[in-house]
Amino acid sequence: MKKWLLLFLAALTFTVLAACTANKDAGKKQDDDSGTKGEAASEEKVLLMNNGEEPSSLNPPEGFDSVSWNVLNNLMEGMTRLGKDDKPEAATAESWDVSEDGKTYTFHIREDANWSNGDPVSAGDFEFAWKQLLDPETGSPAAFLGYFIEGGEAFNNGEGSADDVMVTAKDDKTLEVTLKAPTGFFLHVISNPAFFPVNEKVAKENPEWYADADSFVANGPFKMETWEHDSKIVMVKNDQYWDKDTVKLDKVDWAMVPQTNTEYQMFQSNELDMTEIPSDMADQLIDGDDVVIEDQAGLYFYRFNVEKEPFQNVKIRKAFAMAVDQNKIVDFVTKNKEEAAHGFVSPGFTDPSGTDFREANGDLVTFDPEKAKQLLKEGMEEEGYDKLPPVTLTYSTDEAHKAIAETLQNMFSENLGVDVTLENTEWNVFSEDQKALKLQLSRSTFLFDYGDPVNFLESFITGSTMNRTGWSNEEYDKLIEKAKTETDQQKRWDYMYEAEKLLAEEMPIFPIHYYNQVYIYKDNISGVVRHPVGYLELKWADKE
Amino acid sequence: MLRYILKRFAMMVITIWIIVTLTFILMVSIPGSPFNEERGTNETVQANLEAHYNLDEPYYIQYLLYLKSIVTFDFGPSIKQPTETVNDLLGRGFPVSFELGIVTIIVAVISGIILGIMAALRHNKLIDYAAMSFAVLGISIPNFVLATLLIQQLAVNLQLFPPATWSSPAHMVLPVIALATGPMAIIARLTRSTMLEVLTQDYIKMARAKGLTPWKIVVKHALKNALMPVVTILGTLLASILTGTFVIEKIFAIPGMGKYFVESINQRDYPVIMGTTVFYSAFLIFMLFLVDIAYGFLDPRIKLHKKGGE
Repeated sequence: MKKWLLLFLAALTFTVLAACTANKDAGKKQDDDSGTKGEAASEEKVLLMNNGEEPSSLNPPEGFDSVSWNVLNNLMEGMTRLGKDDKPEAATAESWDVSEDGKTYTFHIREDANWSNGDPVSAGDFEFAWKQLLDPETGSPAAFLGYFIEGGEAFNNGEGSADDVMVTAKDDKTLEVTLKAPTGFFLHVISNPAFFPVNEKVAKENPEWYADADSFVANGPFKMETWEHDSKIVMVKNDQYWDKDTVKLDKVDWAMVPQTNTEYQMFQSNELDMTEIPSDMADQLIDGDDVVIEDQAGLYFYRFNVEKEPFQNVKIRKAFAMAVDQNKIVDFVTKNKEEAAHGFVSPGFTDPSGTDFREANGDLVTFDPEKAKQLLKEGMEEEGYDKLPPVTLTYSTDEAHKAIAETLQNMFSENLGVDVTLENTEWNVFSEDQKALKLQLSRSTFLFDYGDPVNFLESFITGSTMNRTGWSNEEYDKLIEKAKTETDQQKRWDYMYEAEKLLAEEMPIFPIHYYNQVYIYKDNISGVVRHPVGYLELKWADKE
Repeated sequence: MLRYILKRFAMMVITIWIIVTLTFILMVSIPGSPFNEERGTNETVQANLEAHYNLDEPYYIQYLLYLKSIVTFDFGPSIKQPTETVNDLLGRGFPVSFELGIVTIIVAVISGIILGIMAALRHNKLIDYAAMSFAVLGISIPNFVLATLLIQQLAVNLQLFPPATWSSPAHMVLPVIALATGPMAIIARLTRSTMLEVLTQDYIKMARAKGLTPWKIVVKHALKNALMPVVTILGTLLASILTGTFVIEKIFAIPGMGKYFVESINQRDYPVIMGTTVFYSAFLIFMLFLVDIAYGFLDPRIKLHKKGGE
């Protein structure tokens, strides 16, 4: 028996020692790191950032979330890249020609566009990547973005083949793409990381090239140096990048800290150069000088279910919408300086004449309790209601959603005299119920994938998976169809203006607020650009 | 001994099979799917994704596939991080959680026992009250509150330790304190109460009468008996702490495996749910088995196996 005990103790000691040794090594590495950091601090510009968590995938056709995009958008580059003004600019493509019918784009890739391993970026790399995006085998959640390309949808749903997708490398540096319809915003769409190229040679040798730092080939402003999964990613300036002289930072160090509170505390102890604001500290911090508030294209809104009583009636829908004071919600509930939404398309999209979409269409949904009461009365008369059928408002379980839901409950009671019941369910359950039209009145969010209002507006055409209201309007469907195919840009925008007005007229949804991105920066950081469509840009960033 | 171990092993396999089956049933009966994004992917993309992960197969096929993956210990790729297999995730996360856990347990056990003994020996004196007030505080303050407090005071204000992330021994200090305080308090209280009981036993009086030093009495005669309840809770404590803790790992941005237990369920990442469940249950059962063996060493009255003839 004693022997067993000894053996057990020995094993335990060994494990503990092993654990401690692993520690010491890790410690040493850290010391080395900080040593170089300290010495070279005067010359090396290292930006310390936090990305929250491990990216889901750094394979461009696969990674379809902001965490992956933050990294990808700085490691790689598509044909176009969004400029400081959020408009697409020539990037890997030096120039392009558009055919007269607006359907065929011919991209000319720069001579000096190279991969970080020295290979030239070829048109074939784009063809390879875009077809991978659409390949049903890839199972990419971003595949729908490629449906603008002729043959893309057919390939993705198994009816066509890769050869039918109209993306062709004419030669090493020329790529020809034919679209289903003239798509005025195609240059915007392809700035999305889903359309970044993939080095075909590397990918064929090692299909998992994107899973580790050693095998990762980049063609953007930075390249990958180290990737400790679940801990950090370090990227360094890419000396093969065609526009490397613009890039000022030497290194970007990405931590993966999921909690905003911790992130803020690391910022305070100088381990991060920027931070988000923890929600419980918004009151104290949001007015600081170092706070930078930028737009994020997107809308926080509520969906009516027009197939459920009493929201089949447009007047009742409007009454509910007009009983909501959006300004009060952003001032006293969310307190994150979001802009109260009185329309559906968020500000920041400019039409060919330079007018902002929001300014052109103005306020479409305004707080008006008197009119709301009036409309409710009329609506109830139309439907023959003596008493309004019970209304349940549903949101997915979350403190922030709860606060807004409770405020709405209050506003409906005060301004309409209607008592709605609140209900919350876990996100997945909520989402399924909403898609299945089981909810009466439910919370929603839309964040833009690319920089054109049609991205949001087309959600509400008949049969769209994003519709989820049961609302269907032939005129609206037609307007959106025209907005997607019209070659005359000004006309295209006029269709979208009209569509939004129609949406407000019919009110299958009502808006709460537009989104924003709020960060606190250290004083010596400049030039970080956050595009409203959610990609982060460090190409112009600097650290003094 | 061997027969006992084999028997336990067979029981273990059956238990795990039951757990796996129950988990599978629960998993497919909760609504939602891993591809339930707010953005709403269209039906084709959705169908492609489901086919890619065999989710379009009938349930019994999926169940058999799961059983196969468990037998071969290959859970396939995670759905949410398609470039990683579940084995990668666990293989990377477990050593980190284990490292944090083992240090935490050592700190908690040693300091807990010392506190408990001190309190018992100075029963109803100042040290006793101080130690027990400390223990009550330790039990009642949730570790995430303590964690935030520690970061604010020791990392941000005093700058003694790094606030978060995981790369050097210094990074370990705060999470270990946050994580060890609760178990330490429990162990201290347990040790104190059993110690008090043991110290009134006849054989302790006998030892005193023999003129042994108090130190020798405590270490040689009292402590071994007082440790039984501590060992009992150690099994579950080891399993839960060594496999990572969701909240502490999240607050300190520690790349352990704790997060997978919670997030895989929220995200309906089926392979990860199965992987973590099997791993955790196997680990827990193994720890309980170790505890049973340890009983035998601590208390010769407990027999694990029947001797021949009886």
